[in-house]
Amino acid sequence: MNSIEEFNKKQRPGDYYIKLNSELVKLNEKLNIFNTISQENISSGFLFSVKDNICVKNVETTASSKILKGYFPPFNATVVERMKNNGFSFLGKTNMDEFGFGSFGINSEHIAKNPFDERYVTGGSSSGAAAATAILKYHIAIAESTGGSISTPAAFCGVVGFTPTYGSISRYGLIDYSNSLDKIGIMARKSEDIKYVYEKIRGPDSHDTTCVDKKCTDTDKKKIILIDQLITGLDVEIEKEFLLFVKKLENLGYTIEHRSLPFIDKAIPSYYIIAMAEASTNLAKYTGFKYGLKNNDFSQQYNTFFTNARENLGPEAKRRVVLGTFVRSASVKNLYYSKALKVRSLLINELNKILADGFILSPVMPIKTPRFEDTNKLSPLEVYKTDMLTIPPNLCGFPHISFPYSYLHGMPLGAQLVTKHWNDTAIIDFVSKWELSFNYDFKYNLGVLR
Amino acid sequence: MEDKEFNRLLKICRIKLNENEYSSIKNDVEEIINYFDSLKSVKTDETTEAFHPILIPEKTAEDIPEEFDDIPAILKNTKTYRFYVVGPEL
Repeated sequence: MNSIEEFNKKQRPGDYYIKLNSELVKLNEKLNIFNTISQENISSGFLFSVKDNICVKNVETTASSKILKGYFPPFNATVVERMKNNGFSFLGKTNMDEFGFGSFGINSEHIAKNPFDERYVTGGSSSGAAAATAILKYHIAIAESTGGSISTPAAFCGVVGFTPTYGSISRYGLIDYSNSLDKIGIMARKSEDIKYVYEKIRGPDSHDTTCVDKKCTDTDKKKIILIDQLITGLDVEIEKEFLLFVKKLENLGYTIEHRSLPFIDKAIPSYYIIAMAEASTNLAKYTGFKYGLKNNDFSQQYNTFFTNARENLGPEAKRRVVLGTFVRSASVKNLYYSKALKVRSLLINELNKILADGFILSPVMPIKTPRFEDTNKLSPLEVYKTDMLTIPPNLCGFPHISFPYSYLHGMPLGAQLVTKHWNDTAIIDFVSKWELSFNYDFKYNLGVLR
Repeated sequence: MEDKEFNRLLKICRIKLNENEYSSIKNDVEEIINYFDSLKSVKTDETTEAFHPILIPEKTAEDIPEEFDDIPAILKNTKTYRFYVVGPEL
């Protein structure tokens, strides 16, 4: 599908975007312009989309939750402001799992489908961001990751997804899921676009005191480290393809080294305890009379009013609020929440030692992209465990990048490269070098007229 | 988890579950808490808690009221009466 006319015929609003602002009306016109724009003119009209948990002034922002329906922020998130100030044109808000709660993009009222094959999931939670990047040629997606919400959908949709060091991009205007884990990041079709955008949007912000003013290093590593525990238990075909990829890297001059980190599997329970504890407090502000959906029966007593408003949360959100409230309870706090924070501390120390020597490489997901019907067979705990490869860098705030390394049965496969804090550009540059020897495939190239 | 304990938890969370949700979420919660218990095997006696993944400078925002030009834009997200936000009874 290469023409605008053809796209318009086939486009089904809602599949990829939750909503598009009035600029959609001008989409064709803009795309005609983009057809004449080269990469060098990236800042003069390039489109960008924004995950629906990031505020855009006067554009409905719901984090894909019914409870926020009708919320129109009166301000732009810092990242949106910086994109606009650098000449990017806002296209629309992208679909996601409700509040970021999901790995497959299915915890949403309007579920995005994988542009490679609509029978398959896009991955989540930044599902729309990845799908849009796989469809639109000249487009940057501003996404967000808490535990793998950029890497996973980027891998399933065959695009490049970058999650920076925690604290390097301002989160002012982000609808919080988990304050000590949330990171705004970028998806694009090429690593050089990510590098360009990252330089424009990173840096301190007076509105976000957790956004740190620190220079990025660019320590190139020729050593690739495979952590044994992260590459065991993979799907057989994934393992085979991944090892072939590792061989290719060896042929390109990288040294491969194996290391062991036996308790890295504890990253998953630690992550979910912290994420759920923080989410359960963050969601308490959606009470039914501020932000979004209104319950106008003010004769109800506050607890009843609040409980009724929360009926609008989806099942996964309810599950996480219940679990998050439990692990924060005074009687068990030391057993769960405090313990998880200590395990995070241990993991940061151990991974720092490994990352001092090289980059950590793994597949993004231990499984192949699932079909929609396959996801129904998994229990919530089984879904959480599929995040085993994306959680360690997210829990520890290490920058990481997901990029296509192969294609299997017509679907892309993604690898994930991790580096030490603030060495963000080194992993982007690694992917740029990879792109010299490997071409990414896209089924759609909207924005190209022949 | 006993029903009584789970019901108390739901009350604290202000979450109401229908019959189907109740049994499935209760089972999930039990299974996930058992999984969380696996953290007990990690020795953390001499470890401090990492509240953030990186060191965040102890700098807080200045406590200065900020001028906002468009007050109606803020208030349009809520029901108001004479510039007061209307809410339920406490």
